[in-house]
Amino acid sequence: MTLAVRACLDRVGFTLDVDIELPLEGVTSLFGRSGCGKTTLLRIIAGLEKVRGAEVLFGRQIWQQGRHFVPLHRRRIGLVFQEHSLLPHLSVHGNLLYGYKRTPKDLRRLHLREATDMLGIGDLLDRPIDQLSGGQRQRVSLGRALLTSPQLLLLDEPLAALDTQTKREIMPFLSRMASEAGVPIVLVTHAPDEVERLADRVVFMRDGRVDRSEPLRQALARPDSPLFADEGAASVLEGALGPANERGLRPFGSEGSRLWLLSGGTAPDGQTTRVRILARDVSLALDDPCRISIQNHLKVRVERVDKPRGGRCVVATRTADGQLLLSEVTPWAVDQLALQPGTAVYALIKSVALMS
Amino acid sequence: MLGLGPADWQAIELTFRLCLYTTIILLILATPVAWWLANGRSAARVAVQAIVALPLVLPPTVLGFYLLIVLGPRGFVGGTLEAIGLHHLAFTFEGILVASVLYSMPFAVQPLTEAFKNLGRRPVEVASSLGAGLWDRFFTVILPLTRGGFVVAATLTFAHTVGEFGVILMLGGSIPGETKVLSVLIYDHAEAMNYEAAHRLSAMLLVFAFFTLFVVYSITRRFEVAKV
Amino acid sequence: MRSPILLVLATVAMAFAQVTHADRFTVAAASDLRFALDEIAEIYRHQHPDHEFSIVYGSSGKMTTQIINGAPYDVFFSADIAFPERLREAGFTATEPDVYAIGRIVIWSNTLDASELRLEDLPADRRIRRIAIAQPSHAPYGLRAQEAMESAGIWDAVQPRLVFGENIAHAAQMVESGAANVGIIALSLAKFPSLARHPFHLIDDQLHNPLTQAYVVTRRAGNNEAAKTFARFMETEKAYEIMERYGFVIPAREWEG
Repeated sequence: MTLAVRACLDRVGFTLDVDIELPLEGVTSLFGRSGCGKTTLLRIIAGLEKVRGAEVLFGRQIWQQGRHFVPLHRRRIGLVFQEHSLLPHLSVHGNLLYGYKRTPKDLRRLHLREATDMLGIGDLLDRPIDQLSGGQRQRVSLGRALLTSPQLLLLDEPLAALDTQTKREIMPFLSRMASEAGVPIVLVTHAPDEVERLADRVVFMRDGRVDRSEPLRQALARPDSPLFADEGAASVLEGALGPANERGLRPFGSEGSRLWLLSGGTAPDGQTTRVRILARDVSLALDDPCRISIQNHLKVRVERVDKPRGGRCVVATRTADGQLLLSEVTPWAVDQLALQPGTAVYALIKSVALMS
Repeated sequence: MLGLGPADWQAIELTFRLCLYTTIILLILATPVAWWLANGRSAARVAVQAIVALPLVLPPTVLGFYLLIVLGPRGFVGGTLEAIGLHHLAFTFEGILVASVLYSMPFAVQPLTEAFKNLGRRPVEVASSLGAGLWDRFFTVILPLTRGGFVVAATLTFAHTVGEFGVILMLGGSIPGETKVLSVLIYDHAEAMNYEAAHRLSAMLLVFAFFTLFVVYSITRRFEVAKV
Repeated sequence: MRSPILLVLATVAMAFAQVTHADRFTVAAASDLRFALDEIAEIYRHQHPDHEFSIVYGSSGKMTTQIINGAPYDVFFSADIAFPERLREAGFTATEPDVYAIGRIVIWSNTLDASELRLEDLPADRRIRRIAIAQPSHAPYGLRAQEAMESAGIWDAVQPRLVFGENIAHAAQMVESGAANVGIIALSLAKFPSLARHPFHLIDDQLHNPLTQAYVVTRRAGNNEAAKTFARFMETEKAYEIMERYGFVIPAREWEG
């Protein structure tokens, strides 16, 4: 099953020319700077932008082709927008049930209780929506979309309007939703950390065109990845979270490549999550230092040493369980430690960089 | 009652009927037009906006003159009606109803356009994504969220139609019970030097107009307050 | 969700359903008849309680245009026979124009003693800043006023002081309200009780063409017996009496006497 979109659009100061086919599984992220056309592409998929000659095929359903056009309310798409978009004349309860009530009974896969539990909004049901915080509003929006039991979930920068704190609060809900809801998700974003934490696949867009569409792993392995443009290189590790110890730290990952996380979020024990580690927060040592404040030491093997850029070298390493971990060091350090593919080193990671 | 004669009551009843039908028809017609004006992208939007606003700046006589030509027995519309065995529309209640609908158009379209602009497309897009069809969206999202706009549009349309004179005089003659509305009757009373009757009706209209504007402004105010 | 809209449409459609009545008609009458014809109609109503009719007053010219454009008038009383003639030529009438009265014009004022005023005095009189007449282009009384002033040689001199009423009753109302100091109006209006408190000066009818008033039954009323009965009522003794009281000259009586 794939989602195929073909569209050509020429407006004053804006053009779009896309022809892509996306697998309908997991989270696909449309990534690019503002104005690159990613939101327009999303609106075409939704049927909110009726572009002449465009073609949208969802699996075997023809959503748009020639004169045939299925309106949004018949596409069974869940939509979440950047800014708060709850219906102001309805309560939280009314908003959550608006779509649910309009979904045929035999198509409902999710019910109110499950949705409110998943998103932690059970206590808010009777509130008028103007008494909700930004984060609560977005969670209600997500719940409302999920309750229509959609066949596709479109998220248009759902975190962009939130402050860092609130983002942190919502992120776990989003990743949980991505893994539990069992619905393909298209996520529009310009924030690399959202892609790295949520996406399985990235579509890079620039100036109304698709540059490249590839799995996240592949995108992170490229030293020139657009994901690294702002904050520098980063790696994503996947692993299960364990129960917190007496100091409040939670173990992450398997034996041999274990990390201790200061904040493990609200994810339940044993759940697979991702952590994002900026390359500049990773130092390399030939021996395992024991008298040092950094807690997380991983035994890794150097796989590749990139050419220096801006006075820094990115060193790609593999953890014991085969995951890619990037480290940013000076060329001088590379020479001093004689780093080359195959060198066994210890990666020292500041635990503060591991908030998920 | 109130010292009004049967002719006065007849005119009041006629005026009320004219205003009521005009308001109902205009709200139905103006809603899609206003929606399109507020949310459309077509280049024709400016032209339509200008056409809708025409009655605001045109002398009523211009509209009355053209309607007389078009709706009369030799006009395009009137002639067609006659040809299919119906009656033309000049000097009839239906004729001044058509005139009122055109003449009061901006008073229905503009408040609604404003209300729809303030509403934005988002709530409607949200409702679509939640599976609501066109009518469903209109009654469960647009109408409840733009109530104020509809009340203002209805009130202004009604009131403005009450105040219509020039167009009706030209197109309607002043036939009692058919086209002799309050404003025309007042003119007639004054011409007959029946000042007392003219005064009574005029005072009534004055109070009515004040009350209408009072309602409109309190609604707009309430909505401004609500927004803050 | 669709039913409320259907209901509304049905209501509107009902407005278009017209109830027609056999003994119903509408009379269009020149404004000089405003008071006289009201009295005549009152008597007629008593004699024919089953006839339902209304009278619309206006300038003869305007009503002629309205009839050509399809106005639903069944009988037309014009202040000038020229208009019914024009309608007959254009095929809008069911009967030949019938003369029912001759009208006269007077100088009248609400503030000055009009009986002392002469046409020739109007330009020089400093008390007179506004003179009201009916619109000569479509109101016969206005045209006669213009002819009279032209004959008196004052037309050019009074130009800057003229104000125009939409019809002769409107011109009279302008004078009555004091907006104009004097007016040249119909004798029939100056004889109306509330105006008759002030004197008038009758203008010599040699100075203008005669105001030959005529009526026709319009084409649409060709089969409307009620409308025809009303028209014929204007030629009864009762109607003559009232018309004469309002200063109209009745040609039929002249010939008899």
